[in-house]
Amino acid sequence: MKMLRTRKEERRAYLLLVLPAVLLYFAVVAFPMVFSIWMSVSDYSGGQIFGGSTPVKLIGFSNYSRMWNDKYFWISLKNNVFIVLISVFGQIPLGFVLAYAINRGRVRAKGFYQTIIYLPCVISSVIVGILWQTIFSPYGPVTELMQRSIPGWENNLLSNPRTAIIPVLLVMLWMYTGTYFIIFLANLQKIDQQVLEAARIDGATEGQTLRYVILPALSGVIVTSAILAISGSLKSFDLIYAMTGGNPARRTSVLALYMYDTAFRGAPNYPLANAVSTFMMAFSFLLIIITKLVEKRFGGREE
Amino acid sequence: MTLRKSKMRVVLFTVLAISVLSLSAFAAEKVTIRVLNYLDASAPGTSRELVEVWQKFEADNPDILVIREDQFNEPFHNKTEAYAAAGKLPEVIYVWPGGRSATLHEKKLLKDITPLLGKDRENFIDAALEPQAGGYLAMVPIGLTASHALFVNHALLEELNLKMPKTYEELKAMVAPLKAAGKDCILVGAQDDWVMQSVLYSMIFGRLVGDEKLQDFADGKAKFTDKVFVDSLKFYEQLFKDGVINRNAMQTPYGEVAALFAAGRAPFMIDGDWKAGAFLLDPTTGQSLLSPAQQEKVEITVFPAIPGEINHNTSSITPAVGYAMSAAVKKNSREEKAAWRLIEWLNSAEVQKVRLETGAAFPTRKGVTSDKLEPLANERAGFYGRIGGTAVLDNVLAPEICIPINIGLQEIGLGLATPAEVAKNVQDAYNRRAKK
Repeated sequence: MKMLRTRKEERRAYLLLVLPAVLLYFAVVAFPMVFSIWMSVSDYSGGQIFGGSTPVKLIGFSNYSRMWNDKYFWISLKNNVFIVLISVFGQIPLGFVLAYAINRGRVRAKGFYQTIIYLPCVISSVIVGILWQTIFSPYGPVTELMQRSIPGWENNLLSNPRTAIIPVLLVMLWMYTGTYFIIFLANLQKIDQQVLEAARIDGATEGQTLRYVILPALSGVIVTSAILAISGSLKSFDLIYAMTGGNPARRTSVLALYMYDTAFRGAPNYPLANAVSTFMMAFSFLLIIITKLVEKRFGGREE
Repeated sequence: MTLRKSKMRVVLFTVLAISVLSLSAFAAEKVTIRVLNYLDASAPGTSRELVEVWQKFEADNPDILVIREDQFNEPFHNKTEAYAAAGKLPEVIYVWPGGRSATLHEKKLLKDITPLLGKDRENFIDAALEPQAGGYLAMVPIGLTASHALFVNHALLEELNLKMPKTYEELKAMVAPLKAAGKDCILVGAQDDWVMQSVLYSMIFGRLVGDEKLQDFADGKAKFTDKVFVDSLKFYEQLFKDGVINRNAMQTPYGEVAALFAAGRAPFMIDGDWKAGAFLLDPTTGQSLLSPAQQEKVEITVFPAIPGEINHNTSSITPAVGYAMSAAVKKNSREEKAAWRLIEWLNSAEVQKVRLETGAAFPTRKGVTSDKLEPLANERAGFYGRIGGTAVLDNVLAPEICIPINIGLQEIGLGLATPAEVAKNVQDAYNRRAKK
């Protein structure tokens, strides 16, 4: 009898502790996601959703088909893939290399370099965007410097559709590498020095220590960083909005900006914008699943 | 002890009651109105606008609490659409007569101000009282505006021994000597995609095609794939092929172009006439992009004669923006009275005079003049009398149709699309809209 009461109390306490978080999750994450999917298959055109003068109808997947056939969607998706690639294969390796160099004492004035590398992460991305927009402007310092060495050089970086995304990728590399640098540095410092010492006594070279001791120990961190990088890359918006606004001719647009333009620019199309956001969600899940599979295959040896 | 306690309670209760009553009385007196305002915080005339327009209204109307949100350029339009979508428009909102504010007009989210305006309408010029895109008068424009103006730096032309071109051929002939001198021919800050359509292409369309035909396009009586439309795009394309406009225009931020012009990067700049305000004196810093002496050497005119044009010496002109009231504001409510008092003030002769002096807008109220105009503001005031006007495209065509035009103009400039391809995209957008 007493046991039964304890179990009941336990369940009540469990519900009491978990329920607020679950409700909150449903209110701010699950419900908007489901609502967004519903809206993507509707003909909602603004105003009151329920009980308005024109009732909202379900129209199937025509918004997805329109999105699929829009060349600017593919341009945005391609740019997002570039950003994912520069994040996963640029920011993470670079962040690791810098953290490794500092942790292994390869540079002097550690504190100074730590600050310099991390500094871009704490500056508002809008300010960073405007700053780099000025730097890469056809009349800006990059142009002037280049024209000093090559007279008559024209800065077509941003106006050439093939290269327009490159300055954006460079700025992203500059801005976000510091985040991964800090993550790696913190985790490198956690590695037991005795293990590294033991490896050295066993005759392991620097490369072998890195390959067989440090990288396996950090595999979980690398996967977490990759997930952060992927989800962060798909959300990319503020920096690009401030730097190029997705232009010229939407050639530097990304999915989030494409969605924003569809929803709020010129002729608002909320169902289409929600179709884009649903696609972004699915794409994000897919990339994260791939990352987890890769981790299962190659990682998970930190213990 | 108990007595003292109960006395204390009575005193506390009385104080509390008095404060609650006085607070509620105060709250009852103040009416709160929200305003979504369009303001370029970097413009030299901004401090005057803030002090002489907004702060003065608040000082003169202590019974009204104005909660103002200032936005500029694309973020302003995005915020407007977001408010419209959420059904939470502020009581007073800055609107365009059509185009970028089409959602507000077409969905009748703005109040018809005709009854509120009453006899005051006689004090405005006729063009200002034309109904807007919703088919009724939602606002009285605070000014007239030419979305196309050619700013000419005569000092630079003289320095380079060049003469003001009268025809497109003469303008084209200037490209080579200018390039040799390390200068561009015409500057346009067209990183944002609305710019080319608004400040340049609308004028080209007006010259080569005209307003009558534009209405045919809007009504579906003509197709965007028709020769006249494609030819107007071809002329626009030619500007880039001839080097009259550098493709770098598409990566020049809108806010940067005035400084480049003032620095003498090119003898010409194309922008809306409102850009004149960017060169005037900033009273807070005592500085200006162009000194009054330099301003004397700047002319505001229109693009030279285009081969085959049917309208000569024209710009694209529109009754400009103004302040409207949300349709959700209840009739005869205190909010309506407060909002209307603010709108009346924003359209008053006093405010229009400030705007004339800062170069922000050319008055729509009859008889507004000033003897304190800087040379370039004066030049702008005279500009309207020297030119003819045709429509601005995004003021007539629906946003769904303007978007492919805007992006298409950037693509043509960058060599990513041909005029025929852009025309087809525009017609497809028209067909999609017509199907709805």
